Amino acid sequence: MGGSLENLEIVMFYIMVIAFVVSTVLYWLGMAIKKDIINHLATFAAIIGLIANTGAIVLRWVITQRPPLTNGYEFILTFCWGIVAIYLFVEFRYKFKALGSFVMPVPFLLLMFIVMKMGPTERVSGAIPPALKSQWLTFHVFTAMLAYGAFAISFGLGIMYLIKTSANTNEKNTKDSWLSHFPHENVLDELAYKMIGFAFPMLTLCIVTGAIWANYAWGTYWSWDPKETWSLITWIIYAAYLHARLMYGWKGKRAAWMAIIGFVAVLFTFFGVNYLLPGLHSYA
Amino acid sequence: MSNKSDGIVEKIWDIFSSMKTGLVLLGIVALVSGIGTLVPQVSLDPEGADAVADIWKTLGFTNIYASPWFQFLLGLLCINLIVCSVQRFGGIYKLSFQPKPPQEHSALPQKIYSQVTSKDGEALKQRTQKVLKKKGYYVTQLEKEGSWNFIAQKHRLGNWGSFVTHISFVILVIGALIGSLGGFKGYLMAGEGSVTPIQQIEISKGQVKDDFMVKINSVEDRILPNGERDNWYTDLSIIESGEEVARKSISVNHPLTYKGITFYQASYAPGGLFNVKVKGEEYPVVLQNGGGNFFNAPGTNLFLVMSAMKTDPQEPVILYQVFDETKQVKMGQLTLGQTETIQDDYSITFEKAAGFTGLQVKEDPGVWIVWLGSGLLMLGLLLSFYWRPVRVAGIMNLEKDHEEYELALGAFTGKFNMGIKEEFDSIVAELKDVNQVTK
Ligand code: HEM
Repeated sequence: MGGSLENLEIVMFYIMVIAFVVSTVLYWLGMAIKKDIINHLATFAAIIGLIANTGAIVLRWVITQRPPLTNGYEFILTFCWGIVAIYLFVEFRYKFKALGSFVMPVPFLLLMFIVMKMGPTERVSGAIPPALKSQWLTFHVFTAMLAYGAFAISFGLGIMYLIKTSANTNEKNTKDSWLSHFPHENVLDELAYKMIGFAFPMLTLCIVTGAIWANYAWGTYWSWDPKETWSLITWIIYAAYLHARLMYGWKGKRAAWMAIIGFVAVLFTFFGVNYLLPGLHSYA
Repeated sequence: MSNKSDGIVEKIWDIFSSMKTGLVLLGIVALVSGIGTLVPQVSLDPEGADAVADIWKTLGFTNIYASPWFQFLLGLLCINLIVCSVQRFGGIYKLSFQPKPPQEHSALPQKIYSQVTSKDGEALKQRTQKVLKKKGYYVTQLEKEGSWNFIAQKHRLGNWGSFVTHISFVILVIGALIGSLGGFKGYLMAGEGSVTPIQQIEISKGQVKDDFMVKINSVEDRILPNGERDNWYTDLSIIESGEEVARKSISVNHPLTYKGITFYQASYAPGGLFNVKVKGEEYPVVLQNGGGNFFNAPGTNLFLVMSAMKTDPQEPVILYQVFDETKQVKMGQLTLGQTETIQDDYSITFEKAAGFTGLQVKEDPGVWIVWLGSGLLMLGLLLSFYWRPVRVAGIMNLEKDHEEYELALGAFTGKFNMGIKEEFDSIVAELKDVNQVTK
């Protein structure tokens, strides 16, 4: 493998970083000054970023000749891809751009984490232990990507909901404030539910494929390691969201808070377990 | 839910049939699980767990997921789920398979509602049925007292989603329980060429009931041309009454299962094969690098170990030690093919490097139940979230008002309204469209 592919991959990575940063800033700007052209540019930047993100992943795949799903850097790339791909789908499908201001910061922050916290040695694809050579790991990460991506969207919607309703109760002049581009709060609420309804089965599949993989690799499908346990806690939080909504009509504010807490649990499973808890799970 | 909550049995039933109880239990499970990731656990960090104050150890906090009260909690959750499911079964069954058409206009859904009129009532009725069937609805109808009433349902199996989900969770817990009560868990570290009775492997849990031999034909630490490790491979045979009944080259992620016992490649250690001659007898001996095992020469108190090894594939060199009980009596270095005399009538020859394979050996009679539960869990969730039932109901008066027949219809909104309106509107549009053609 010549070094040129590696260099191209690094170029893709930085295009992606710049595009997502620019996109985030433009969404914010678009919300503040309400010029459609700026929102269009923000979407355009997000698309460029997604293409570069895809490029970085595909190149890594070509270079290592295995799915690039085996270390923290590669997971973050896939995580970002999931968030932005699902976000763009939602933007085109439901046609509201204000959501970008609340979702795009998530990949932006994830990439900042790579840029600031991960040295070059952590970013390159090293040799992987035999346990990671499994089809099930690929399924496992793929479903995680979809689930986490959709949870990130519901998180953005939850924040929008809270801002929107608190502005409504403050009786501000909402007509021409920066909130005027927000959809009706019921739409926010229901779309967040729809996202979680898509993501919950995905998260379940992610946990199940993880268990199958662990059983092939180590002969134990569940060992209560902190990463597994936190994924279970995340799962329970979202299950509680679904039940509370269905039976006690917990919509609106309380549902929005639960969507936010759920995503915090997702992030904790992803990062906190590795960086805050006494270290155990060796592969990010 | 029951009115006669007088007896204690009814009271308990009521508690367990409540979803509130279920949510509280789930919340406690989440909380306790979280605590378990903060307190060192015996299974993952034995030294850390040992350092925790005794009171917490006694209460089970250092072995939280195996503690009786955590299992009790899971048991309560299962009872809760079973009771809830039993109670909801009839309702879901009726809703799915014996739906009742609405009797009066007031029973029609109001939020998503429309009317279609036509001069030809019979044709409208036919068209309605046809359109609904074409769109995948199952139509139940009732004609009485001058009106035609129907209820149509699409994706009616979706009603079973939460039922299947809940039962599958119970199945999962049962599978895990069976796995923790039965079967065994063990470890075998064995050198190339060795034959070990399954009864003699190192057991950390449970008991081995079967009786066969495990033969390690060869062990390989395979390195790819680019210098990365490909995998560890063990060519493994199962021997029963002297005959080979199974053979497979296993590696990490590719285990072998025989009679419910699974062999997982877990680790690898380099070692050496020696030809040992003691009092005229020859023994092939495989010793593990670092003193992982020893050879006790028959009729002596001498123990031979291999304390170090240079694992160069071309020129391996080993360092051996011989102990009399615990006192070292000899040590030395051997290259390939070199022979050393330890005592009169006791010599060793280093024949070749030979790998040691570490195998996790496990029998888990509950594992298939866990996979069954996982499969059903996915099925239940798919039904719940990707197969949403849609219900449309309508009433048409069979007597004409104002020269026209009027069909009133509406769609029920459930937990989820997005999309239902669009679906309903497309039905109405089609009915109206057809209507114009018949006019
Ligand atoms: C073990 C974890 C549990 C999971 C994964 C789970 C899953 C689900 C799902 C997916 C739904 C459908 C929700 C929706 O369509 O929005 C549901 C509904 C429901 N669950 Fe659970 N559940 C769990 C525990 C419980 C417990 C402990 C109870 C209490 C006994 C309970 C009672 C109910 C009830 C009554 C419904 C309403 C069903 C309906 O009206 O459609 N669940 N559950």
